[in-house]
Amino acid sequence: MNDLRSEFHQQLAEIQSGIALMSAGVTELVPRATEILLTMDLEGAEYMILGDDEYDTRALELEERCFRVIALQAPVAIDLRSVISAIKIIADVERSADLCVNICKAARRIYGHDLDPHLRGVLQKIGDQAQVLFKEATEAYLNLDGVRAAALHDMDAYLDDLHRQLIQVIFESHAAGHIDLQVAVQLAVVARFYERIGDHAVNVGDRTRYIINGWLPDRPYAESDNDPPRVVAVTDPGDT
Amino acid sequence: MNIGVAIALVAGLVVGFAVAHWRTRSSAGPIEVPEPADDGEVPALLTSAVDQLEIGVVVARSTGDVVYRNAAARAFSGTHIGVLVDDHILSIMTEAETGRSTARVVELQGPPKTWLAISADPVPGGGAVVTIQDISARVRTDAMRTDFVTNISHELKTPVGAVAVLAEALHDETDPEVVRRLADHLVEEAHRAVRTIDDLLKLSQIESTRSGDSVVNLTAVVQAAIARGKSADGGRGIVISGLDTLENVWIRGDERQLESAVGNLVENAVKYSRIGGLVQVRTRVDDSAVEVMVADQGVGIPSRDLDRVFERFYRVDKARSRDTGGTGLGLSIVRHVATNHGGEVLVSSQEGEGSTFVLRLPAERVIRVEPAGEPEVTDADEPQIVHEEESRDARGGT
Repeated sequence: MNDLRSEFHQQLAEIQSGIALMSAGVTELVPRATEILLTMDLEGAEYMILGDDEYDTRALELEERCFRVIALQAPVAIDLRSVISAIKIIADVERSADLCVNICKAARRIYGHDLDPHLRGVLQKIGDQAQVLFKEATEAYLNLDGVRAAALHDMDAYLDDLHRQLIQVIFESHAAGHIDLQVAVQLAVVARFYERIGDHAVNVGDRTRYIINGWLPDRPYAESDNDPPRVVAVTDPGDT
Repeated sequence: MNIGVAIALVAGLVVGFAVAHWRTRSSAGPIEVPEPADDGEVPALLTSAVDQLEIGVVVARSTGDVVYRNAAARAFSGTHIGVLVDDHILSIMTEAETGRSTARVVELQGPPKTWLAISADPVPGGGAVVTIQDISARVRTDAMRTDFVTNISHELKTPVGAVAVLAEALHDETDPEVVRRLADHLVEEAHRAVRTIDDLLKLSQIESTRSGDSVVNLTAVVQAAIARGKSADGGRGIVISGLDTLENVWIRGDERQLESAVGNLVENAVKYSRIGGLVQVRTRVDDSAVEVMVADQGVGIPSRDLDRVFERFYRVDKARSRDTGGTGLGLSIVRHVATNHGGEVLVSSQEGEGSTFVLRLPAERVIRVEPAGEPEVTDADEPQIVHEEESRDARGGT
């Protein structure tokens, strides 16, 4: 088969490596965004926001290639699954790059406000975990490794826990008067961004499994996609 | 041990020779060596020699197809770093195609942050040899050096500048109340400069002298350090608990240096604790090492600063560090004492949750471990040391 359609398979391989490269880039963007947020690095934030255009262009170009393959090569079976999944994975990766940019924009908005160590510690943790998820998703897709892809759901459960924990710490920090309401809201949004990056990584993992053996999730989408964060507010600091 | 060194030397020679040979051959053109492009014909000896190299070596044709990767370069494959490195290799190859050598540095976020230097040299007959080298250690040393110069001038200039300004203000002041306040500040700033210089001298002394080899009661050293920590509390109600101090651990070492190291660790733990926090100090002996562990539940250290806290004058929180009154040299002293004793100091920390420092010395230093029996013995040793610390505190002033 390879001999018959070598050019076609070359095209498929190029699409896969193109996406892997983009995804590896995002794996680097996530910790960079966390660093920018925690060190209030305005210059770094600006640089990253400008750099996002490149990801958008690459995503469009890769999508275009997928369309061309479908139109001209009429792929079937695993080839069809990989092209269809590629189109969806491109969107997940591109969206994750946007989320990293959003974190940088939030960093600009809270510039000059001090964050207490506990808050910073949890932010670092959630950033690390989001990066680990994206790294696993990238490498699962790169090596078409179904086992690693399947592990992403459990890793995402921990990220969701950290998300809830971060929201809690934001409440506490605000109640203790360390951060004002504006910063608290920005940080809650940042927490959501990290949680979303994790969800995109899980999607990449799911689609990788679909490429390998046509696996589909029991539910069309991970439930964490639509559920609001389950957070119990700290007792209202009304008495203070 | 000697055999290991000999083997390493021989291996080094072989590799060095093979590489030199390979380099001269490849630059001399394809006279006697098969072209690297002849897949599989690169001599087995040469490949295994290149596999020994720490730097990654990649040989590629002018079409961009990779024909050879050594072990260090293969280690990246299948990871996201491999994908990024391959992309850089491809673009650097294109530049090398024009016939000149090119190089670039790629920064990877880690953690820990890594810097890879990727360079490409064109080879005769098309294609290029790409080398990948981890230069993180060099980048860190460079950063350390420049930061050190900036920091030392800052740490010394700040108090001295303050002294000058305060003295000027004092000169024209007639109100006795204001004069007293200015004089107090003046004394405080002068003491700060003295403390920094004292610590610098202590550090350079530890650096330049080998540790003495007297018999030291490590348990007594830890007790003294706990006493010193208590005096640094400043009324914040921090609880220092010594665990596993039921036995006396006698080791070979330099008592003064060890006191300074453990004392610094405990004092730091107290300084960075929250009000009413808990500091735990534990001594542990096993077959491989003797350890003094100091754990606090304080502010902790951000992960990106973790490998830099032992640098001289390195401050995690540059803005607020002077409030704690430290000189920024304490942990450098601890690290040097550990090195002098053939050991190391380890740190693990979570920002906002606390830090744990472990001073770890090799087990060969342990002379004997015996039940303490009567803790009065350590108490009897204490006043002298405590007195020393108190006199220093009095001099330090607050």
